[in-house]
Amino acid sequence: MGVLRTWPEHLDPVVKEFSECFDSMERYELLFQYAKRHPTPLPPDEWNDENQVHGCQSRAHVICLVDDEGGFVLRGGADAQIVQGLMAVTAMAVNGMNPSKVAQMEPDYAEAMGIRSSLTPSRANGFLNMFRRVREEAAMLV
Amino acid sequence: MPLDMGAIRADFPILERRLPNGKQLVYFDNAATSQKPQCVIDAMTHYYEEYNSNAHRSNHTLADEATTALEYARERIAAYFGTSPDQLIYTSGATEGINLVAYAWARENLGDGDVIVLTEMEHHADIVPWQQLSIERGVEVRYVPIDTESFTLDMDALEVAVADASLVCVVHISNVLGVRNPIEDIIEMSHATGARVLLDCAQGAPHERIHFDQLGADFIAISAHKMAGPTGIGCLLVKSDVMEQMAPFMTGGLVIKSVSTEGTTFQDGHAMFETGTPRIAEAIGWGAAVEWLDQFDMDEVHEHINDVASWTAAQMREIPGIRIYGEPEREDSSGAVSFLHESIQSQDLALLLDEGGFAVRTGHHCAQPLMDALGVPSTNRASFWIYNTMDEAEAFVDHLQHVIGRFS
Repeated sequence: MGVLRTWPEHLDPVVKEFSECFDSMERYELLFQYAKRHPTPLPPDEWNDENQVHGCQSRAHVICLVDDEGGFVLRGGADAQIVQGLMAVTAMAVNGMNPSKVAQMEPDYAEAMGIRSSLTPSRANGFLNMFRRVREEAAMLV
Repeated sequence: MPLDMGAIRADFPILERRLPNGKQLVYFDNAATSQKPQCVIDAMTHYYEEYNSNAHRSNHTLADEATTALEYARERIAAYFGTSPDQLIYTSGATEGINLVAYAWARENLGDGDVIVLTEMEHHADIVPWQQLSIERGVEVRYVPIDTESFTLDMDALEVAVADASLVCVVHISNVLGVRNPIEDIIEMSHATGARVLLDCAQGAPHERIHFDQLGADFIAISAHKMAGPTGIGCLLVKSDVMEQMAPFMTGGLVIKSVSTEGTTFQDGHAMFETGTPRIAEAIGWGAAVEWLDQFDMDEVHEHINDVASWTAAQMREIPGIRIYGEPEREDSSGAVSFLHESIQSQDLALLLDEGGFAVRTGHHCAQPLMDALGVPSTNRASFWIYNTMDEAEAFVDHLQHVIGRFS
């Protein structure tokens, strides 16, 4: 696949860790672990209609904001651990970035991580719906 | 006589498929769509290779062959459903069939003060058209609840609800629970009060032989793709006297007798509702599918599916943390096993099952009112059909146990 990559360099160790997994089941196991390591989580008591990502089979919620230093912050939560894990990795990638850069990011890091299911164009794909929402909100924060 | 599973499976080339991770496909998403036997694929390919042409228009040889095949398919499909071809309107599927009733019959015959009875078990396709009609025409929509212990319709409530109803719309077999509703009783009860009956048989048609004329429902909506046929085609079966109460819905070419700048006169019968170029290849494919199905005794098919589903459900009930919604072990259940695990979210579980090669559905199954009644946002659903085997069920239960042991 494409030579161009849009994820920041500081995510490389995470991408490498996933890409070195023995198989998909091991990758999913790792995602379940990352789900617990979201750097800026959004706990369920803050979930509401406004921050819900629609079109997901799972419940997913995101709040995007800019911190005092102009860096992007992705707060997120999902009931599906695979979506939550991908959300955690996404937050690790985008937190602190300039929102204009976030708005131009592609979900290529998920592909590089080897998460095949994250890439299907299904309307029910929780990760892609979440990713698009983050990108849209980043564009609005520019 | 037991089904010859080797011969049946040999008719479905896709069942040999291996997934990108090398795992053998085990297809348990049949309530979403069934796989297609080679004869259906061949019939459609043959049409495109040999006589692709538009039907009911030109006079050349190919057009005659295409028209003949389209109408021969109608005869075969109507015969399979125990009725005559003039009572079969081709649609894109059950959803369009129900919308056709809503637009072509209900908008002509119902209005303020009329009551439409639905159930909590309905698919969105049998809810949303009626909600829209209610907004537009002031029709009252009532919902018959389900008993969440037995997963069956509250028949006492249904009896009360239909007392002054004009139309009763009921799903034959629930796509979530696999429960078969007592449609014969519902038709009798509804007709006794003068209500018309629409049955959503999208899930029922693949599991039992429907005899439209004997059953006596006014409308039956069916999708081909859940019963070995192609996607994009289905039918609405309509009693001929009821069809006379219907007005054109979607208009254009083919549904007309004549068009002038002064106005249009329409065809009679099913031709009034089939505008545009027909789904010719799809109809031919569906005709081949019912011919394929016709070789089986559907009672034996049902027994086989029920055996596999019952065994699977019984094994799953032994797995800690699994809850099953519905009673797949009941003799009249149709082979859908809806379930949840207490700590592995349904979408996660579906992806982890997919890693083992097992295709199951997850989500609200386009039945959110039923999900609300059950008190859950979604379920996983393994749904079985004619080609599924006990070996596949055993492998599924093993993988499910493995996943739960590793991820819960």
